[in-house]
Amino acid sequence: MTFEELAMPLFASLYNYARWLTGEPGEAEDLVQETYLKALRGFASFREGTNFRAWMFRILRNTFLTSRTGLRATAMQPIEDDDQFVAEGDPETIFLHHADAQLLRQAILDLPLEFREVLLLADVENMSYREISEAMSIPVGTVTSRLTRARAKVRRNLQEKR
Amino acid sequence: MSEHLSAQTIESYADGELAAGRVRETEEHLRECAMCAGKLVAQLQLKRSIREAAWTLPPKNILRPRRQWPAYAALAAAAVLAIVVLIPRPNNELADLHTTILASANPVDVISTDRHTVKPWFEGKLPFSFPIPEFNGTPFHLAGGRVVYVHEQPVAYLMVMKGAHRISLFVGRDVPAPRIDAFESIAWTKNGLRYVAIGDVARADLDGLRVCFRD
Repeated sequence: MTFEELAMPLFASLYNYARWLTGEPGEAEDLVQETYLKALRGFASFREGTNFRAWMFRILRNTFLTSRTGLRATAMQPIEDDDQFVAEGDPETIFLHHADAQLLRQAILDLPLEFREVLLLADVENMSYREISEAMSIPVGTVTSRLTRARAKVRRNLQEKR
Repeated sequence: MSEHLSAQTIESYADGELAAGRVRETEEHLRECAMCAGKLVAQLQLKRSIREAAWTLPPKNILRPRRQWPAYAALAAAAVLAIVVLIPRPNNELADLHTTILASANPVDVISTDRHTVKPWFEGKLPFSFPIPEFNGTPFHLAGGRVVYVHEQPVAYLMVMKGAHRISLFVGRDVPAPRIDAFESIAWTKNGLRYVAIGDVARADLDGLRVCFRD
């Protein structure tokens, strides 16, 4: 497979992800462009058999994290300790309706960056825990616990607003 | 009945990540236990709502150079631009419409389960007409319709229910075939009209819907 064949189908997904990272269309466009340029230059070092999608997302988020917006985002939001999680809020206490899309978007935006990322990769991109762990360079166990916490936070956020 | 499922088990199951050895016992419990099944439904619903709420389409002109690029990138940029010109971007327009309509407080303009109400409503609003089948005796029922615009052309929109699931059916002269990951979709052509069905249902359900429209 050529770079084009592998990379172009991911375009809309990468852009959507960039929008959620940067929060701003212009910056998201720049980020996606830079990601494709870096990926094109680095394609020779991409090993067949590894996950290309995870590789592209990893390039995108590394590019973002070293950008000015990314540095600001991570400086403001220290990673919370993953180990001390106690499950909270029963899933059944909240039933979402389509009309809540705006509230839901705000709840996703309110998540600390790392939580927002696992949630988007799992639920929007339908990535497996393994793929997410590759894209974010974190262990699978951390993916699981962050995901659980992200969803609990979203649920709690929505419950507070209704 | 076996012990209730943990929140973690329900979450892993919803994500399709439960260890293969545990799937059977989990499904057995879900069949017997309304409470855990309810939690699973809530979990799946949250997943789906997040997917629908969190999707944004890229703008059409995204890959033109916007700023001054470092010199080393100039060639690569040209290469990327060449790629973009050659390869059509995936079309998510209909998936977006589907999501937008479902998210709307008033998804349909004519609310009726009766095809004899919905069909005449379209008259004069569309430059074509198409038959709406009788859904009695099928797993589907009609919820209503409206007119939407795709590529500036009027397109009929029917909302068809399969149980609690809403399926969007677009009918028009030039309806683009969608490329969708998040939903199932099928497209077919009949009497010069293009039909595209999209929904969060099994592929077989959409095939069933197509069969309803064949006769």
